[in-house]
Parts: sequence; structure tokens; C-alpha cells
Amino acid sequence: MFVQLRTSRTSRTATGIFAAATIAAVALIASALPAHAETGVSSTTIKLGITVPLTGAAAPGYNKVPAAMKSYFDYVNANGGVNGRKIQLVVKDDGYSPATTLSVTNDLILKDKVFALVGTLGTANNEATTRLVNSHGVPRLFVNTGFSGFADMKKYPTTFPLFPSYATEAKVMGKYIAENLAGHKVALIYQDDDFGADALKGFATAGTTFAAKIPYSALSQADPSVIGKWITSIVASGSDTVIMFGVTSATGALAGGLYKAGLIGKIQMILGSVGSDGTTLKGLLGPLAPALAGSIAASFLPSPSDATDEYITQFKSISAQYNPSAVFDNNILVGMNTAMLTVEALRAAGPNLTRTNLIKAIEAKGSTWASAAFSPILFSPKSHVGYTGYWFGKLGPDGNAVSVDGAGKYTLYTTDSGSAPVVKATSARPAMPAKGLPNN
Amino acid sequence: MKLNSPKRRFVLSCIIGALLLLLSGHVDELRSYQGAQVAIFAIAISSIVLLTGYSGQISLGHGALMAVGGYAAVLAQIHLHLPYPITFLVGSAVGALAGFLLGMAAARLRGPYLAGTTLALAVGLPSLANQFHLLGGEQGLSFDVGSAPSWAGKDFSQYRWFFCVAIVVSLVIFWLLRNLLSTRYGRRWRALRANPTAAALAGIDVSGAKVLAFTLSSSVAGLAGSLFAMLLGLVAPLAFTLSLSFTLITGAVLAGVTNLGGSLVGAAVLVAIPELSNAVASHFGGSEKVTANLPGVITSVLLIATVLLVPQGPKFPKYPSLKSLRSHKH
Amino acid sequence: MKIFLNTILVGLSGGAIYSLMSLALVLVWRSTRVVNFAAAGQAILSTYIGYEAMNRMHNYWLSLPIAVLAGALISAIVEAAIMRPLAKRSAGTVVESIAPVIATLGVLGGIRSLAGLIWGNSFVQYTSPLSSKGYTIGSTTIPFSPQNAAIVIGALIVMVIFAAIFTFTRLGLALRAASFQPEIARLSGVRVDRIRTIGWAFAGAAGAVAGALVTPTTYLSPNSLDLLLVSGFVAAVIGGLESLVGAVVGGLVLGVGFAVILQYIGTSVTFSAAFIILIIVLLIRPQGIFGRRSGREA
Repeated sequence: MFVQLRTSRTSRTATGIFAAATIAAVALIASALPAHAETGVSSTTIKLGITVPLTGAAAPGYNKVPAAMKSYFDYVNANGGVNGRKIQLVVKDDGYSPATTLSVTNDLILKDKVFALVGTLGTANNEATTRLVNSHGVPRLFVNTGFSGFADMKKYPTTFPLFPSYATEAKVMGKYIAENLAGHKVALIYQDDDFGADALKGFATAGTTFAAKIPYSALSQADPSVIGKWITSIVASGSDTVIMFGVTSATGALAGGLYKAGLIGKIQMILGSVGSDGTTLKGLLGPLAPALAGSIAASFLPSPSDATDEYITQFKSISAQYNPSAVFDNNILVGMNTAMLTVEALRAAGPNLTRTNLIKAIEAKGSTWASAAFSPILFSPKSHVGYTGYWFGKLGPDGNAVSVDGAGKYTLYTTDSGSAPVVKATSARPAMPAKGLPNN
Repeated sequence: MKLNSPKRRFVLSCIIGALLLLLSGHVDELRSYQGAQVAIFAIAISSIVLLTGYSGQISLGHGALMAVGGYAAVLAQIHLHLPYPITFLVGSAVGALAGFLLGMAAARLRGPYLAGTTLALAVGLPSLANQFHLLGGEQGLSFDVGSAPSWAGKDFSQYRWFFCVAIVVSLVIFWLLRNLLSTRYGRRWRALRANPTAAALAGIDVSGAKVLAFTLSSSVAGLAGSLFAMLLGLVAPLAFTLSLSFTLITGAVLAGVTNLGGSLVGAAVLVAIPELSNAVASHFGGSEKVTANLPGVITSVLLIATVLLVPQGPKFPKYPSLKSLRSHKH
Repeated sequence: MKIFLNTILVGLSGGAIYSLMSLALVLVWRSTRVVNFAAAGQAILSTYIGYEAMNRMHNYWLSLPIAVLAGALISAIVEAAIMRPLAKRSAGTVVESIAPVIATLGVLGGIRSLAGLIWGNSFVQYTSPLSSKGYTIGSTTIPFSPQNAAIVIGALIVMVIFAAIFTFTRLGLALRAASFQPEIARLSGVRVDRIRTIGWAFAGAAGAVAGALVTPTTYLSPNSLDLLLVSGFVAAVIGGLESLVGAVVGGLVLGVGFAVILQYIGTSVTFSAAFIILIIVLLIRPQGIFGRRSGREA
């Protein structure tokens, strides 16, 4: 019995070794095939990858970004691509779980062999793939998070954050309150994680004091008891102004809660950029949407409804053609703007497209590229910080923001994530390239 | 020579281990990663097998116990600067402690009440990380076990190294558990699961045996959590959600809850299913709504079909004594 | 004092929602000894059907019975097509108690993905004509609105109807017999299979009421009732799983406990709060508030 078992195992082992040897041989041959310039780049294509929650509780809103990016890439491809190469975007759903993000990013980098990652979403999600990204030297462009840590070039040498950090946003908001709402009692609602911690840091630097600070756990904002607690705390603190530094569904919940308590018009809402997308809020609030009218919102991109903005009109017409089912909102704008910067980066890296060239090109020239935001971009060989500023708008009954200085006039407040002062600037943004096609 | 002696199992484990480690040199990085994933899931599933398949208790909160182990290991590295093999032991020990406390409460509770308590734990515990600065908040804490030792060669990839570590640990655990289950403790648990009343009448300390099972199971889950942290390179609340707990139970059922060896099969199926359903979904293509949601539909259909067709997993329980132990049906 | 009263009101209106989902779980538990993790998923599907009906008929009150019927039908299908064959195949094996857990989790995931496939993963609005603006007493607006009142009344109606069915009708007797002693019930002429399916249909209807009444206070997405799954189950366990009154009381205890913890301890323990409340209740009464110590095992 024993001997028999042994024999059969030995023969199985032999088969296994034979199989392994065959696999190894095939792998060797495969790697010896004529080498192309760079992983994910052929003479006719460039393959990019993105991870984003398409399903699950975090999906609404964000799930529109990949299609928006694709629509812009399709438009560029239809107009000759980048140095003759067409861009392909491989989209992976991670359900907002870092473990899944790592699994699907393995697929993107090791199986699909993408050239670079673009617009990957979430702080912990990007953190989980950092080791993989670093060890393979994969460029990770314009990550979709405001966590200021990703600008650390030592820890994340190939990563380029684009959005202004949450700390920057909080400092800017603090300045706005000091200038426009001095003497008012202000309550702050924030998510009790890094998102909120960054904000608290920023407000502390700005010297903003609060009548009430109300933390909430992410994903608990749908619970009626949680919303009830917000309202009772705001009322108890005697505040007439409330800052919502949270995600869109939290903003919706707050507006609903204030409406329910008959406080609309009595309490001024100030909304952070993460949670103030008009279209998503309208979907969220339905008939209660007018409750948002009059709220102040911070943004770095122009309002998606601003028909006078050359970027908006151009993106809108591309979107209508290549992504016709999508309602043009902030998520679409973010996606298309990210895609446009990506195209500019790929162009700048030149016809000999390699990962090293791409990173060098962004560091060398990134600060000069056209993009929809009014803020300057601070990319340089010494800095991976992207946008740095915000403007303030007032939401209309349709959920869209109009600048507090009047339609089409934007005053920009810029600063950094640290202790630099907040300065006001009038926007001087590069013009939209003709037909929306980068010519850098 | 007895087929089931500990010594023989040891030799077998060594052979399997050596083969797998050898094989790891011949597969690409992606397969190494998936191999490590399978080994880690197998350990986690075996903790459920130990608990449910042997002592008859249910836990919907083992994802949270994995979080306890993972965080403990990471903190031991960051603050005590312990070498990583020791941090795995710390993760396991702290997991055991948490399991002991939970097991004390669990021993008082039956079926659905225990399920409810562990479910609430799975939801509540990971979010605590946001409350304490020490635990690193939403982006978590990073965990670095380093790369392979230099004698392994330059081309030894990170994932291959993880695969080797995970394989060695899982074989050790399987060897320990297998031996443990053939001792009197294993027999007591089986008696307990089959009929608690009869077990009590036979002089078995029912709640003692239950607490011991919960503690051991949690220590294995804590170890799996430390290895999971190694694979992810971090611990973060989002990595240990309720769906992780559910995934483990699913794996245990796919493994045939009473079958330790089945854990490997269960783990392999867990890793293969998303790949399979994604492949099918991308074959059909269509709008983004479809490509995003079709894998979920396929996964669920596969899961339901598996439970319906082979409710006891791929293999049936090995011990015929079970039937004689079981009392009348309710 | 005003804050305290407001907190209690917030807790009661939240608790009423948990009660409804808890009722759905208890109804399934009573008829088949299964914890139905798919309950929240079934409610999502029936609510989407209500939403479709509302889009066509432009009347919330007409869409409500359609959602409830759909909920009953979905639940009956789940029982007849999946749970019944599973119960037969796993009866008497070691997986008897956990195979149904896996199957219902599978159904939950499947329904969520299906809803995403059909209606997309974004928020949609299913609105009721009732105001969600709190009642005004004197000059203060209290955190309790007509929509909250509808939820509380809905929970009470569901509880009373099913309690009456269980206590006073032959069907109720058969339901109880089929779950406690299926063999004996079968021998005495009860068509156990059909009775169990009816039990699930009742539960599906209760879950549908929960979904259709709660959604107008928030929004609808494939995941919008996720939190309700956990709090509904915890409420059912607090109430003791066996009793319909217990389900409602469990929901209210959880809701008020939740609101009090959030108000006086802090919002950062939101997710741990359910665990804390549950442990406190179970340490005092391991069989839940209304459970019987001698109750049968799963």
C-alpha cells in the first residue's frame, strides 16, 4: 500500500516537474521575443488602467468617472491618438476594498500589462498598491484622493496626486469664513478618518473655531439616528452656519435633516468639494433638492453648468458625442479633465514612450499644461503637488454652483497643506487648446 | 507504518512544501500572488472549520478577528521592532486572547444569537481603527516583512517570497491542527457538535470545550490576519469588512465544513471565482452597468448552485462514527 | 431635557425602521428556522419594483401594494426554488445550520448585482407624498415627521396583522406547527412545504413594507438597505427571534439605545454601538428580551 502510494506520488511529481519545466521553457521563449519599447506600449497602442468602485456603497457618482475618461480618450483616438498611438483604458472595479484593489491592480500590471495607472481612487486603496506600483516603476497619474501624503516623492516616486489636499481646502474655507462670516457661530461635521483629520489640521492652521465639532463614521450617514444627532448638536450649539466636510451622501443627509427640522433658511450650509456635486445631490434628494439652494460650496474645477467656460462647453460637446447617455456633471468633468492631462503627459513624453520618460516629462513640463481648474499645477522635479486652490460658489435651486463673485468670475484662494498663508488670486488659466485637443 | 501518524504527516507536509516552493520558481508573479492568497485563505478557512465543523459554533465575525491579529502584528513591528516571524506569533496570540473573551460570551449563546453577536462585532470592530490615532485611521498602517534573503537570488520576486512564507506557515498550521484534531480534544469537539446534551452527559465540560475551540480558532484567524497584512502590505479598516467574514464562511462551506484538507479547495475556489466570473462577464461585454455587475451575478449563482448541489462541499466527512453519534432528528 | 426628548424621538423613528426589518427576519425564523440574510436584498428588489410602478402611475400609495406583493412573491420564489431543496439536501448533516446562511448570502449578493445590472449603481429617488418635515409644536419643530409616523404605524400594522394570523387562524397554527414539529405537522395533514413558503411570503411582504416606507426618507441604490440588514438582525436577536412583539420592541430598544449612545457618548462609536447594545442585552438575557429559555435550538 505504502509503496504503491509512493510510486504514484513519484510519478505525479515527475509529471509536475515536467509540466513546470515546459512552462518555464515557454516563459523563457516568450521573454526572448522581440522586445518592444515599454510594457503596455506598442507602435499603435498605449494601455492604461484604472481602479474605481463601480459597485457597492461607495459607487454612486464615482462610477461615472471611467466612462468619462474613455469618452475623451476615444475623441483623441479618433483625431489621430498620441504620436500615432491609440489609448486604451482598462477599467477594474474594486468595490472600494483595498484587498480587492490590490488583486485587480495585480491583474492590471502583471496580466493586462498596462503602461500606467490613471485616476485610481481612494486613499487606503492607493496605499495598498503602492509597493507593487513602486517595485515595477509604474507611473500612477492623478490619483483620485485629496490625501496630502501622496505628494511625498520619496515614498511614492511614481505617483502624482492632482486634487488639492483636504488640508488645503480646510485652510481656504477657514479664510473664507474669517472674511465673510466673522462673528457667526459655526458647526463642523466631518468624517472621523484621515479625510476628516486632514481637514481638522487645516482648520486649526487657519485658526477657525467651532461652536460644535461633530464627527461621523464613513457609511453611517444613511442612518436616521446619526442624522438626528447632527441636527440636535447643531441646534444645541446655537450655530447659524454648518460646514459639511464629507461625502455627497452625507451632504444629502444633512440637507434632508435640516429640512426635516425646519431649519432651511435659518442655517447656512458650507459644503466641501468632495460632497457638493449638484447632479448627484439632486438624485439623492429628489424633491428636497431646493433645500440646497443658497449653500456655499468650495470647488477647484469650474461649475459644470457654466455655459461661458470654454473648457465646459468643449468637454460637454465631446461628452455628448462619445458618452451620450451621461448627464454632464462634476464627476464627468473630473474624468475628462484627468484624461486631458493624461494625454498632455503622454504627448510630452515623446514618441519614445517609456515610464521613465513619462515621469520626467510631467516633472519638467506639467505645470504649464492646459487644464480646466483655475488653480496652477505645481508639478516640478522637486514637487508632486498638483492643484492648490479653490473658489467659492453659491448653489442655485438646480443644484449648480454660481461663483459668489457673479457668473464666470472666479476668485481663487490658494495655499499649501502646511503653514503657508492663504492668498487670493484672480484666475489666469491656460486657454483650452483648439477643439479640445492638446497641442503641447 | 500507520497512515495517520503525526510523523508521517510531518514527512508528507515537508514533501508537499518542498514541491510547492520548487514550483514557485516556475510560475509568474501573478500566480505567486494568487498562490499566497490561497494559502492565507486556507488558514483562515481552517479556523472556521475548527470552530463550526468541529465544535458546532457559528461565527460571522472572523474577519474582525483577522483584523485583531493583523493590527497586533503590525503594531508589534512598528512599536516593538520585532522580526516579522515573531509578529505573526503576536498576531496569533492577540487573536487568541480576543477569541477567549468572545468565546466566554459565545458559550452562553446558541445558534442565531451567537451569529448576531459575531455579526455585530464584524461590523463594529474594524471601524474602531478610526477612533485611535495609534491604529492609523482610514489609510491604515503599513506592514513590511521585507524581501527574500539575499541567498535566494536577485530574481526572487516579492510575491514569490510571500508565497513561500505563506506556504510554510500554512503547512505548519495544518500539521498542528491535524494532529490536534486526532487527540481527545478533537474527539470531544466532535461529540459536542453532534449532540451537546449527550456530550454533557458523557462528562464533557461543554462550555470549557467551546471556549477552547473559540480561542484556538481565533488564534488561527489572527495568524491568517497577520499574513493577510503581509500580502496587502498594510492593515486598514476597509480591508476587514463584513464581506471578508462572509467570504470566509463561504469558503468553509465550499470546503465541506468538517474537512480540514478541504480548506485548500475552498480557498482555491474563492480565489478562482472572481477571475472566472470576470472572464465570463468580459466575454459578454456590453455597457458598463453590465460589465460591473455581471461578475456579482455569476458569483452568486455559482455560490447558490454549489451549496444546493453539494451542500457538504466537495468531500464528505471522513468519520463514519458521526452517524452513530448523532441522535434523533428534531 | 429638550435634547433628551429629541434624542428619544430620533431613536424611536429610527427604531421603527429597524423593527420592520426585524419583523421580516422573525417571520422567516419562525417558519423555517433560518436567518434570512437575503431579507435586505429582497427588500431592495421589491422597492425598485415599487419605484418602477411609481414612475408609471405617479402615485406612491398605488405603488406601495405593488411593492408589497412583489416582496411576497420574491420571497416565496427564494424559498421554493432555493431554500426548500437546500433544506432537504442538507437535513441531518453538519452543514444544516450554516448552508442556509451561505445560500441567503448568495441571494443577497445576487439581488444586489441584479439590481445594479438593471437600474445601475447610482442613487435614485422613490418619494412619498408625506412630508418628511418634522411636526411643529408651538414654535419648535420636533424631529418626527409624517413619514416617520407612517413608518411607526406601518410597523405596528404589520405586527398586529401577523400576530393575529399566528394566534387566531388555522393558517397561523399550521405555520407554528410546521416550524416546531414538521414531522408531526405533516402527519396531521399540514402541507408543510406550502405552509413554509407562505411563511416566507409573509416575511417578504413585511420586508417590502420596510423598504418602501424607509426609502423615501433617504434614497435608493443597490446597497441602500445594507445597514438595515445588520440593525434589523441585531434588533431581532435583542427581541428574542421568536416573538413579533419582541421584534418591534427589539427594534425600538436598538433605535433608542443607538440615539442615546450617539448623543451622549459620541458619534465615533456608531458601528460599535450595535455590538455594545447587543452584548448588554444578551449578558442579561442570553435568549433575548422575549425569547424563551427553553426554546428549541436551530
